[in-house]
Amino acid sequence: MNRKQISIIAALWLLMGCGGLVAMLYHEKSAGGAGNPPKEWPADSAIAPRGPTLIMFAHPHCPCTRASIGELAQIMAHSQGKLCSHVLFLQPAGQRPDWVETDLWRSAEAIPGVKVHADWNGAEARRFHAGTSGQTVLYDAGRLLFAGGITAGRGHSGDNPGRDAVMALLAAPTGTGARTPVYGCGLSDKNSSCRIRTP
Amino acid sequence: MKEAMHSTLENKDAARAAAIFQEDCQTIIRRTDRLLMGLMIFQWIAGIIAAIWISPRAWEGMGSSLHPHIWAALFLGGIISSLPVALAALWPGRTITRHALAVGQMLMSALLVHVSGGRIETHFHIFGSLAFLSFYRDWRVLITASIVVALDHFARGALWPESVYGVLSAPMWRAFEHAGWVVFEDVFLIISIGQSVREMRNIAERQAALESSNTRIEQTVAERTAELTSEIEERRLAEESLKSSEQRFRQLAETIQDVFWMTSPDCRKALYLSPGYEQIWGRTCASAYEQPETWFNTIVPEDRAGVVAGFEKGARGEAFEMEFRIMRPEGMVRSILSRGFPVYDEAGTLQSVVGLSTDVTGRKQMEAKLLESGKLETVGRLAGGIAHDFNTILTAIIGHAELIRQAVPESGPEFHSAEQIGKSAARAAQLTQQLLAFSRKQMLRSEILDLNMTVTEAEVMLRRLLGDSIEVRVAINAKRPWAKADAGQIQQMLVQLALNARDAMPRGGRLTLETGEITLDETYAAARSDVVAGEFVMIAISDTGGGITDEVKPHLFEPFFTTKKQGEGTGLGLAMCYGIAKQIGGHIGVYSELGRGTTFKIFLPCVSAAPSEAAAELAPIVKTAPVRGTESILLVEDDDGLRDLAGIVLQKLGYTVHSAANGIEAISIAENHAEIALLLTDVVMPQMSGKELADRLRSSQPSMKVLFTSAYTEDAIIHHGILDPGIVFLHKPYTPALLSRKTRETLDGAQAPRRT
Repeated sequence: MNRKQISIIAALWLLMGCGGLVAMLYHEKSAGGAGNPPKEWPADSAIAPRGPTLIMFAHPHCPCTRASIGELAQIMAHSQGKLCSHVLFLQPAGQRPDWVETDLWRSAEAIPGVKVHADWNGAEARRFHAGTSGQTVLYDAGRLLFAGGITAGRGHSGDNPGRDAVMALLAAPTGTGARTPVYGCGLSDKNSSCRIRTP
Repeated sequence: MKEAMHSTLENKDAARAAAIFQEDCQTIIRRTDRLLMGLMIFQWIAGIIAAIWISPRAWEGMGSSLHPHIWAALFLGGIISSLPVALAALWPGRTITRHALAVGQMLMSALLVHVSGGRIETHFHIFGSLAFLSFYRDWRVLITASIVVALDHFARGALWPESVYGVLSAPMWRAFEHAGWVVFEDVFLIISIGQSVREMRNIAERQAALESSNTRIEQTVAERTAELTSEIEERRLAEESLKSSEQRFRQLAETIQDVFWMTSPDCRKALYLSPGYEQIWGRTCASAYEQPETWFNTIVPEDRAGVVAGFEKGARGEAFEMEFRIMRPEGMVRSILSRGFPVYDEAGTLQSVVGLSTDVTGRKQMEAKLLESGKLETVGRLAGGIAHDFNTILTAIIGHAELIRQAVPESGPEFHSAEQIGKSAARAAQLTQQLLAFSRKQMLRSEILDLNMTVTEAEVMLRRLLGDSIEVRVAINAKRPWAKADAGQIQQMLVQLALNARDAMPRGGRLTLETGEITLDETYAAARSDVVAGEFVMIAISDTGGGITDEVKPHLFEPFFTTKKQGEGTGLGLAMCYGIAKQIGGHIGVYSELGRGTTFKIFLPCVSAAPSEAAAELAPIVKTAPVRGTESILLVEDDDGLRDLAGIVLQKLGYTVHSAANGIEAISIAENHAEIALLLTDVVMPQMSGKELADRLRSSQPSMKVLFTSAYTEDAIIHHGILDPGIVFLHKPYTPALLSRKTRETLDGAQAPRRT
């Protein structure tokens, strides 16, 4: 095999490698449906708001949500007890509790100030119009301050606009309706009539 | 020349060092290729496993599908790993391979950093990978890897900083910072690589020098080994030669019956004695080593002074020879001849005295016997000469006495005197006969005898001869009792020995005659000068008389030696027996013990054939033929008296006699006479022998017959006293009657003409 052939092969190889990386980036940057949460705290919600209240909807088996839980932990650490947080894990009808109580559940549960709940058949998610695991809403005084994801990509930890927005709102809750893309698994089946569509 | 060789060696070492360095580099590169190939495969598999473990599926409510991360790990990781792994597997050691591995490994780092969301910890994968790549000890690989890292950081830092730094936005200087840290590590790694390469070069140079040194050492060792092998071989050959020499000396010393000996320079201490010492001395060598005085004490006292003198000469460094006698433990005396020689070292110092001692007992005994035998031989020759002349004289005396007796009346005193002359001459003739027998010059009529029969026939005669006071016993033991001998002489011996036995038993006793067979071997014969080895028939005559003393034994067979009183014995009896036995080819021995008796043993050579009947019948015939005749006889005799007597006797009988004093005269006479019927000739004559005369006359007288006469003869007619076939012989002294009868017998006999 001569040098030219080797060079061609090497070039193809680099091209394929770089192409693969780009494809992977594209996938990670593909956001799910962020929903359109109500501007006021739903009255029929089973969760009672108490001061600044953060709710994260999560799919108990979504691998991307681990990064969201991690970001939540940073937010909680940063809020220094000012924030009341709830993580609602989807529990479809007919599923046993152990389907819900995964390591994600336990991770969320381990974050101080975070309350973990099973969202029976996605009822709360529907009340808050949440369609993607990792979707986070922040209410203060019954008013919606933030809605969206708190990661920069699928399963991607680190600095991201959502986390920065939440932290900023906690410091100065002046703005309303901040929105960021949500990266995670869908909370409802693709063909479900209850599926939250991205606006 | 030396410098040139040194330079050549250095060049060789440098080339070898370069080769070793390249070889080591290749080894390291190939090994690192394999390690990195394994690492990439591991990372790929680990990525797949991690993806499966962390994000197995992507969910949509209750529905799920295989997570895209798994596909990414499988295919993207596979793509990144494929080319480097393939090159490492197919072309290990090549430059393109390690650079592809470097690029692949950096892409893996980039992927890891990206997947981790730009976690700073995962950047250590980059540094670890660079360290790993430094295993190649090729700084170019680090440069390639660092370029890939830098490009990745610049590109992703600009496009998607969260992917590489984990932050939403990153300034450009962060890319430079990261690249700077990579360069920072590269600097140290390159320094380390440089040091490692130098060390490798040094090691290669040392290795080359060591190999070169080893080669030289091996060459030196090989040369030295060859020299040692040669030396060892030479030493081995020398040792073998020494061993062989020692073995030969040991075989010689241990086999020979003589004694090799070695003493200290002062001759006072025995250093070595060969095993022959124990055989000759009858004592152990150890006793001589430990107590030299015991050896000295074995020497007969009379000979010790000579031995001391001999060893004193040896101690002075002179060669010496000495003869002495020793006493063996059982009392036997042995004669020893010993020669000693000094041994000096290179400095001329006397080291030892060596020598050889020989047992000469047998030789001395043999010398004594030879001396005795020679003496008997001399005496026998003297006796034979005397007997010859006596016989010639006695023939004339007897003949003339007979003529006188025939010529005078029987009543007259002349007749009586003539008769007394005849009787005295006859006794003298008997004495000369015995002398001839001793000197082995009497005539034999040998025939094959059955000695059993001879002894049996002699028994009757001996009983009569010995009288009643002596008991005669006969023991016939010989199964093959045949010997070639003269029967009359055997009887003569038996009678002589029986008479001696009778004289040894004046008060009576027992005489035993015994026959047997015996084989005398070479050893027995070698010890006795008068004995030859072979099969013998033995006749033993034993008496129970007083025996013979040791002083008498050596002289028993000497003529005229007698222990009897003067007038009772002639001293010729045993001498005659000795002579007869020797003439037959045998010998006679004596065994005697004082007070118990004596045994004489006659040994005669055994023959395998039994006596024939014809021979037995012919032997004793004595014809009483007419004694007169008219034929012409040529008489040749150098003794005038005897020639005259014979002529008178024959003429009286009617023959025509032509006398001659010698052969020349006889030939002359024969030429003048037409026919000579008989040649009567003496055998021993001056000028021409009787045998030669007869041969010459036969050409002109083919019908002539020959009658030889002699006192004894040793010529061609008679060999060792035995007549040739066809020869007629008349022994002196003869009587006129015997002459007349023998003449007639010869003339009437069918004597074949002889030519020799």
